[in-house]
Amino acid sequence: MDNEQCLCDARIFFDEKGLYIVTGEEKLAKIKKNHTPVEPEFTLGCVKSIPLSDIDYLETESYLSTGRLILYKDGEAEPLVWFSLGKLGDFADFVRVFNTYKDTGNIEIPERPDDHGVCKRCGAPCPPGKDFCRKHSKNSATAVRLIKFFGGHVPQIATIVLVMVASAGVQVLVPQISTRSLYDNVLSNPDSLPQAELLKALGVLVLGIIGVRILNVVLTMIQQYMSATIMPKVMYDIKVKIFEAMQRLSVNFYSSKQTGSLMNRVMRDATNIYWFFTDGIPRIIIDGATVIGVLILMLKMNWRLSLFALLSAPLLIVTLVFGDRFFRRMHHKVWVFHSRIGSVLSDNINGQRVIKAFAKEDDELDRFSNMSMDVRNAEVKLNVTEATLFPIMEILAMLLSTAVLGYGGVLVARGTMTAGTLLSFIVYLEMLKEPFGFLAWVTNWWSRCADAATRVFEICDAEPEITEKENAIPLDNLRGDIEINELEFEYEPARPVIKKLSLEVKAGDMLGIVGKTGAGKTTIANLISRLYDAKEGSIKIDGYDVKDVKLADIRRNIGLVSQDIYLFAGSIADNIRYAKPDASMDEVIAASKAAFAHDYIMKLPDAYETRIGAGGQRLSGGEKQRISIARTIIQNPKILILDEATAAMDTETERNIQNSLAKLSKGRTTIAIAHRLSTLRDADYLAVIDEGTIVEYGTFAELIEKKGEFFRLYKIQSEALKTIAIGADSCTNNGEEEEQSNEQNAE
Amino acid sequence: MNKTQNNEQQTISPDTLKAEYLSPDSCSFFRTEKGFLGAVINGTEYKRVVLARALPLSFPDDYVCISDIDKKELGIIEHISDFSEENQKLINEELSQRYFSPVITEILSIREKFGNFYFDVMLGDLKRNFTVKDLTKNIRYHEKGFDLIDVDGNRYRILDFDSIPKKSRRKLEPYLY
Repeated sequence: MDNEQCLCDARIFFDEKGLYIVTGEEKLAKIKKNHTPVEPEFTLGCVKSIPLSDIDYLETESYLSTGRLILYKDGEAEPLVWFSLGKLGDFADFVRVFNTYKDTGNIEIPERPDDHGVCKRCGAPCPPGKDFCRKHSKNSATAVRLIKFFGGHVPQIATIVLVMVASAGVQVLVPQISTRSLYDNVLSNPDSLPQAELLKALGVLVLGIIGVRILNVVLTMIQQYMSATIMPKVMYDIKVKIFEAMQRLSVNFYSSKQTGSLMNRVMRDATNIYWFFTDGIPRIIIDGATVIGVLILMLKMNWRLSLFALLSAPLLIVTLVFGDRFFRRMHHKVWVFHSRIGSVLSDNINGQRVIKAFAKEDDELDRFSNMSMDVRNAEVKLNVTEATLFPIMEILAMLLSTAVLGYGGVLVARGTMTAGTLLSFIVYLEMLKEPFGFLAWVTNWWSRCADAATRVFEICDAEPEITEKENAIPLDNLRGDIEINELEFEYEPARPVIKKLSLEVKAGDMLGIVGKTGAGKTTIANLISRLYDAKEGSIKIDGYDVKDVKLADIRRNIGLVSQDIYLFAGSIADNIRYAKPDASMDEVIAASKAAFAHDYIMKLPDAYETRIGAGGQRLSGGEKQRISIARTIIQNPKILILDEATAAMDTETERNIQNSLAKLSKGRTTIAIAHRLSTLRDADYLAVIDEGTIVEYGTFAELIEKKGEFFRLYKIQSEALKTIAIGADSCTNNGEEEEQSNEQNAE
Repeated sequence: MNKTQNNEQQTISPDTLKAEYLSPDSCSFFRTEKGFLGAVINGTEYKRVVLARALPLSFPDDYVCISDIDKKELGIIEHISDFSEENQKLINEELSQRYFSPVITEILSIREKFGNFYFDVMLGDLKRNFTVKDLTKNIRYHEKGFDLIDVDGNRYRILDFDSIPKKSRRKLEPYLY
């Protein structure tokens, strides 16, 4: 973006003398026939150069949809260039390379995926994770991959296809026997045959018709039976494949996708694929075979009349295709309005307590009725349009049949065609109408299926960010030494959450981490557990980089009690046993006692067999936390990370659990993250984190004596407690005064 | 004594929570030598201030928060139009850079595939193409038009949907529900 806030193309680079910003216009050259990417042509506008000696370091800032490169010299900032937000990652890398060069004189180019977000063929922008734009992505690849799911059932699929073709063939033969033979052989000249012969011929014909119909039903039954046995197996394979792929993926994948969207992929997308293969493919085969068979028979019966009928077919197809597109839009509109109503309804049911607390029942009713009104209007419009357009389309089809009937009638009158042939012709035309309509519409069905399949394959193909090295080191007997060196991490490009953080925790020691909300405390816990990988720097456990160690060994040896508690649907005992399914009931009770959960669990009617999670017993925040602690205790990890583990509990329970955890912490490395500073008195040392870096480090006593940030936070909390105490005193005094005055009044 | 302390607290709290609205008398803007936006607020000079809209879609010209470079809020401008023309120009320049959203004047084509929407548009004289993933989630409606957010987080604005060419409207209409 130039100074007049107009879009322009720019390039930025540096050498040992200076930093250069070149603005101009970039034109993407036309794609070559062999699809090799072509370097864009750049027309030079102007060049701004800044000597390196005039720059101390560079920084990027990001805003709503733009970012800005800022130069710093002697503490003074100077804006250099604005850029679009999509380039933030590139600029952040550039800044990192530049600043490293300024500091060390070395050039370290970071690894970045090639052509990120750009079509590999034409350079057009692509959605994340896609290699090709719309024009160059192929449906056929999706189809081939889908078909591979049926790989293990080739004989059955071949039989199904054969049966379907046979079924279509039988259907095509029905008018030949029932209509043509009946009219031409029996009814056209009944006087020429004796009564007995006529009845015999009629009986044979009727039996033939019944036989053909039964054969058709039998074939359909075979096809449906075989499909019904194979399809669920294929669906099982697809769903398991998606679920397996999802388990492989890193936490970051789940953070970037909504739960609903992921659930849809497993359930709805798989079902979409299922229906296309169970309903769509058989119909394509049957209808395709019917169309081919009917056309061959029609041409054989009378090619002139066939060509006459086929001349009008394109008109019918075009009408059907456009009609379908038009209705699809309207159906989509109705569907969107219905989903909005669904959201309002869900909001309303989940938020009933808030709605009632604010007495907003009437407003909610208005909101719902307005939304329903939109649905009503859209549905009325759709129904009215359907009621108008369908008869018109029917008339078109009827005109076609009538025209054929008229021309056929002329041919019958001239004696070039029999009446039976004409009537079977009309029946065939009717038979073509539905397959034509379906085949015109099936492309949309396939698009929906391919769309669903692409989303499914997106998960299957996604590369987990956290991967285990080929020769990962096993860590069976872990001591628990943790060493963090120059750690850097960011969830989004150029927005660092952890900045050059270094600290050390010796095996068996307890480190307390304190800091404001959003300072990066939980991120440190996640990085130690290797739920995310550091961008720069390293985390070593017992001297080994966590990236080199077997993932299962890290996770088994690190117990994380997170502030976001998640309990699975099942019994309390099952949840406590989650990390060690073979734990005995004695171990479960011991862990619950240590987590001060046993007493309240025993007060529940079903005690340890109380169902929790979806549709189960409602537990308070503190109760859930205690189960979560018990779950971690039973895991018996060498490193214990307590991330606000006791925040939702009352002070007394918290103190009890602290004592209990203190006993458990013996011999274990413990990292405790807490807002309530008093809970960290037992820590061997404390680290105060602010904006992703350590601002203070020492023992509790040292930090209090230092009178720095920790002392300030401690003082604020102590004063807050004093205020509460004074408030409580005041309430008690007021209460006593009130009681006294009441007593006096009573007297 | 306890009662007095409680009363003091009650009188202090509302003041601390009150937003500081800035008028042209208490606040003025200037452009620094280096090109940043600076401000003088209640007599104190800030060499670099950050502006943020509280209601960027519904009321882009009202409720603009001013913060210093350490993100500490200095006050709120209720209506930009209350300020002098010179100050309005400076505020709008800064805001239009921070909320940069090129205006779409014509839609040449929209193609949908697998839930991704590929747009070819004219931004005045400039032809641009961009991709929006899941249109329903990446559209922000305002009074007469809307913003489209592409896969890179860039925003493109249609100021008034009714005033763009009819052909362009027809291309986008089916997806706007």
